[in-house]
Amino acid sequence: MTVLELTTADTAAAAVPGSRRRALRRVLRNPLAAVGLVVVVVAVLAALLADLVAPFPYDRTNFGAALQPPSPAHWFGTDELGRDQFSRVLFGLRASVGVGVLSVALSLAVGVPLGLLSGFYGWLDPVISRLTDTLLAFPFLVLAVGLAAILGPSLATATIAIGVAQIPAIIRVTRGETLRLRGMDYVAAAVAGGAGDGVLLRRHILPNAVNALIVQATVNVPAAILGEAVLSFLGLGLRPPNPSLGGMLSSAESLFRDGPWLVVFPGVAIVLLTLALNLFGDGLRDALDPREVRR
Amino acid sequence: MKPGSDRLLDVEELTVRFGTEDGAVLAVDAASFALGPGEVLALVGESGCGKSVTALALTGLLPRSAAVSGRITFAGRNLPGLAERELRRIRGRDIAYVFQEPMTSLNPVLTVGRQIGEVLRRHQGMGGSAARRRAAELLELVGIPLPHRRLGEYPHQLSGGMRQRVMIAMAVACRPRLLVADEPTTALDVTVQAGILDVLRTLRAEIGTAVLLITHDLGVVADIAERVVVMYAGRTIEEAHAEALFARPSHPYTRGLLDAVPNPARHADGGLREIPGRVPVLATSPDACTFADRCGHADGVCRTRRPAFARGPAGHLVRCWHPLAVPVPP
Repeated sequence: MTVLELTTADTAAAAVPGSRRRALRRVLRNPLAAVGLVVVVVAVLAALLADLVAPFPYDRTNFGAALQPPSPAHWFGTDELGRDQFSRVLFGLRASVGVGVLSVALSLAVGVPLGLLSGFYGWLDPVISRLTDTLLAFPFLVLAVGLAAILGPSLATATIAIGVAQIPAIIRVTRGETLRLRGMDYVAAAVAGGAGDGVLLRRHILPNAVNALIVQATVNVPAAILGEAVLSFLGLGLRPPNPSLGGMLSSAESLFRDGPWLVVFPGVAIVLLTLALNLFGDGLRDALDPREVRR
Repeated sequence: MKPGSDRLLDVEELTVRFGTEDGAVLAVDAASFALGPGEVLALVGESGCGKSVTALALTGLLPRSAAVSGRITFAGRNLPGLAERELRRIRGRDIAYVFQEPMTSLNPVLTVGRQIGEVLRRHQGMGGSAARRRAAELLELVGIPLPHRRLGEYPHQLSGGMRQRVMIAMAVACRPRLLVADEPTTALDVTVQAGILDVLRTLRAEIGTAVLLITHDLGVVADIAERVVVMYAGRTIEEAHAEALFARPSHPYTRGLLDAVPNPARHADGGLREIPGRVPVLATSPDACTFADRCGHADGVCRTRRPAFARGPAGHLVRCWHPLAVPVPP
């Protein structure tokens, strides 16, 4: 009995807000996840404060100093127009982080309600699930590229395209959680207490599904950042001269022989940021997943 | 309770069928019983006899696969005839439930105060601070020490007994006229059980709530119930005042249940006495006594004709062709 009680208590503990703080502490005890978090925080700060931190405006050309390798004056070197690569990477980071966060926010805003409805109302489920399946049949990037091509190239359309491409995964996760939580005793108890559908969904099901959604979001943000890089690389993202990490890679491709640093720095920035997000996401998943807690 | 006196709840010929993949299952077979205001009625029977289904059927809480017929009159209204909206207003306000599983019946992400407050806000339109004050009073009423501190705690910080008290506090938050307690003490150990029963007794005295207690624990029945209805295979088979039922059970099944209760004095000779066989799962209502196959007194009439629910030799209602007349030895 005591064993059973402890199990229940721990399972419940993983879901409550007070223990979310504890979960964060558990994440930080995992060294890889802690490093990931630090890198993400630094990247986000750099992106937000790019105006203050960057030594040059991202579009200041200087033909006297074109294609310079990294030096004390230009840490990451300069491109064929003499623009400071360090500054451009910082601003590119802003575009990448912005697209990552906004597109995930978009996918959550659309996917979560649809997932809740799909899981809660059996008669709606076939409709929403078949639509989800249809979207899922396209690989994520193919869908995003296709949508961006239809909508036209800009950062906003890249965000929308990536966000829409991520909706099916969010619907799936939310629907699954809703189906699971709908059968919980406390939901039945709330019904017996006179709760209507809205209260059940808002108060009892959604808050308990948040952990799964947090985990899904930490997977989706790096995917969105990569997606933005790909779209910009293909010319479907931010238009020049505005820098984005993917766009910088794209324009550096032809100059690879003369200025390899032009590829290295934005490339490394993308890799580090997505790697850090993934490490943090993994750590968070382990910390929030009740089955993983007592390994 | 005498017929004709003012009844709070009157269940007549309640029948519940479930359509399952293996065909229909008859869960409740023309069950009838009544409950007066402030009365404690125990609904007793083995697992699967239909007692929980009966409780859920009262306010339309059964899944859609259930076909419910019969009349359920609560405070003058026929509940099965009401729209879902109306039923929702009755649930939690006039008829409240306490379930068996205190460990899982509270939402893990909401504080105790919020969960109790939610019911108050919903049914009584209370604001945040009023609901909080009332929630603290309720916790005190159900015997939780330091109620103000408990309000801010999450369910996992409470023990099973505490959680069941919180469930009861939520259930009685709106002073319901009927509290349906479905195995409220089954998941708890015996000392905690006694505490919960005390709480139910207190509530009845303070709020005047009638209690429909669903249990298979005859100890609990003896402790708190005034009247008892025994169910078997979906049918009500015996109804009596608690003392009368324990002293003079008239249905062989009731007698069997009482004999199966561990009692050192009576079982000194050897082991527990069991009732042979199992509760049948029925698809249709047979023209026979449903207990006939397990009954030592059964004869031809038991297997071919349905016994009526009529007054037996002990003076209370029993559904048996050959009701027992011999009292239980003290």
